[in-house]
Amino acid sequence: MKGLGRRVTIGFLSIVALLFASGVISLFELSNLSNDTEIILSASRRNMELAKDMLKSAHEHSQAVLHVAIFDEYAQKDVCRRVMSDLDGKIATARSEAVDATRLDSLQLSASNLREITEQFIFTEQPAEVQLQTIGVAEPIEDGELVALRGKLWYDEHYKPAYEVLVDQVQNFMTHTHSSLAPRAEQLNKNAYRSVAPVFISLVVMIAIVLMFYYFIRIYCVRPVERINSSLSNYLSYRLPFSVKGDLLDELKELAEGIERLIGLSKLNRQ
Amino acid sequence: MRVSIILRYIGTVMLCVSAFMMVSAGISYMNNVDSGFYPLLLSSLLTLTLGAFPLLFVPRAKSISNKEGFTIVVGSWVLASVVGMFPYLIWGGEFSLINAWFESVSGYTATGATILNDIQYLPQGLLFYRTSSNWLGGVGVVMFALVILPSLGTSRMSLSNVELSSLAKDNYRYRTQIIVRILLIVYVGLTIATTLALKLAGLRWFDALNHAMSACATAGFSTKNASIAFYDNVAVELILAGAMLISSLHFGLIYATFIRKGNNVFRSEVVRTYLSIIAIATLLVATSIFGANIYTDIWEALRHSFFQVVSLITTTGFATADTNLWTPFAIVVLIFVSVVCACAGSTSGGMKVDRLLIFCKILMAKIRRQQHPNAIIRIRVDGVVQDAEMLNGVVVFIVTYIGLIFFATFTNTLFGQDLMTAFSSAVACIGNVGPGFGEVGSMGNFADIPVILKLQNSILMLMGRLEIFGFIQLIFLKWWR
Repeated sequence: MKGLGRRVTIGFLSIVALLFASGVISLFELSNLSNDTEIILSASRRNMELAKDMLKSAHEHSQAVLHVAIFDEYAQKDVCRRVMSDLDGKIATARSEAVDATRLDSLQLSASNLREITEQFIFTEQPAEVQLQTIGVAEPIEDGELVALRGKLWYDEHYKPAYEVLVDQVQNFMTHTHSSLAPRAEQLNKNAYRSVAPVFISLVVMIAIVLMFYYFIRIYCVRPVERINSSLSNYLSYRLPFSVKGDLLDELKELAEGIERLIGLSKLNRQ
Repeated sequence: MRVSIILRYIGTVMLCVSAFMMVSAGISYMNNVDSGFYPLLLSSLLTLTLGAFPLLFVPRAKSISNKEGFTIVVGSWVLASVVGMFPYLIWGGEFSLINAWFESVSGYTATGATILNDIQYLPQGLLFYRTSSNWLGGVGVVMFALVILPSLGTSRMSLSNVELSSLAKDNYRYRTQIIVRILLIVYVGLTIATTLALKLAGLRWFDALNHAMSACATAGFSTKNASIAFYDNVAVELILAGAMLISSLHFGLIYATFIRKGNNVFRSEVVRTYLSIIAIATLLVATSIFGANIYTDIWEALRHSFFQVVSLITTTGFATADTNLWTPFAIVVLIFVSVVCACAGSTSGGMKVDRLLIFCKILMAKIRRQQHPNAIIRIRVDGVVQDAEMLNGVVVFIVTYIGLIFFATFTNTLFGQDLMTAFSSAVACIGNVGPGFGEVGSMGNFADIPVILKLQNSILMLMGRLEIFGFIQLIFLKWWR
């Protein structure tokens, strides 16, 4: 392959190669975009699950504590311990997976605080009178009522505030997770633009190249062929001398020279 | 006019731009394939294809006409700015379509004005590309292309007619082929020397190279948000001031000085005037800011005033201080030097000291002619008599230049800018200076100005780079015979 043929082939191949390159880069960016989306979605989903489990554990703990403190069901002691241990496990998991683990410090602290309060009240074996004195009830009352009153007072004044703090902290953890993912989502938005931009710009460049290609083929291929054709027609119709105006390139130059030689030979044959 | 020939030569310029994009992509690759790699790589490939395509079809021209040469120069600058947008657009971030155009034009016209709020957020490859656009623009995209243009003879001179100011061309007194060589020797040599000096002063290689390229192009793109103030280093400031000063002198004269020719920097009347303006402006600004207690130490006042005066008069735009906080008198002096600018035949833009000197001589001649109506008064610069056409051209240029500043100020205020921002941004853009005052001050940027004004300012930058009439001719190309 030589001359015009080579030029046209290289021209087309370069267009194809460029489209391919822009396509590959766009695919690469789209793949990154897809991965980032997946990461953000799964992180968000996982955090929601963890927060839900934490709230469930806190609720279970609260229920078990109520049973122990008010109804004196000491069998629920183990449930309290197990649920608290579950909550610790969930916080540890969240800490290991969190983007910003420092935010979980306050959640950990409130869970520890709740555990301490519960341990101090339920698992410390003290006479009911002493416990009542510590919470400010000095007058003697019946045994059953004593237990219920002791439990209710303790629950309202000590456990409930600590429980509410814990629930608030879990909710903070949920909202913070979303706010910490916001910059990543913003980055994702920019990446989405980046995956489209290469194709769009490549298309604009391709249009420019195709227009140039059209112009060059018109100037360097079509018009010379038209000029050769016109000159040949003039020769055949009116016996005007065959001459092509302007510069010709490669195969077209050879074609014009070939026609000139052919005309020369036919003149010689006629003579 | 042969469009295909024009496309061929513009294509050569595109190849230069593509090469620099590829180098920047290489830097991105070395920097752990940072986010600038793919945008730069794809942009380089696109520009390469765009540039190589005409070369594939169009044969070399034996000669090109002035009209074609002119169109090649203007077209090269505009198209370099267009393809220069690609890496920014593909990368995204703060670069919208108009922001990318503004940044690209600012780069290739060696203006150094930016729309970026956070420059340091950019990946290293893109930072280098930004500075390389300054460097390419500094020497002149077309001058660069001339080195690799295979054709000889008349085509070279036609291409350099527009880019070099007519004054500079007269002063060169060399053939175009040699001019190109002189430009490159001085330019590359100065960039290497400045890089090494900045490295010795404590900058990282990357920062040293970027700031050296920007200083030698008298452009002003920095890799830091706070520009040169980030380093707070006297040695760095002195090195950069030196590089800016040398780059703002006539390159032919610098070369002549090195090879010990008679017509050199020390003997040039223009250079003497230029250095005098710098000295007087520095003293005035230093006295003003010291007197207003902005700096309590006179040396600090001198240090900052010298750097700012040099930075603005050379049309670079680096900053070591927030000049918005300086006294109104100091600001007026700085605006004056931003209008006057440096010597013709350098990488600087603006009105040029040469024209100011000739204008002053015309005024003096006018006064003398009134006193002695029959006297024959010739105006000379460096002993060379200036012809009437040249003198007329200088006056027309100055009037048009100032007229455009006022027109741009008018438009800027129309879109809600305060007078200081409106006027100084017009001066900064048409003079290819970069920063102005007010919202677009030395520590500010052009991010928050309206889109229409970004477009207007980018056109002003192109006009300034092409010596106004080079750009205006584009409109009247059809009637050019």
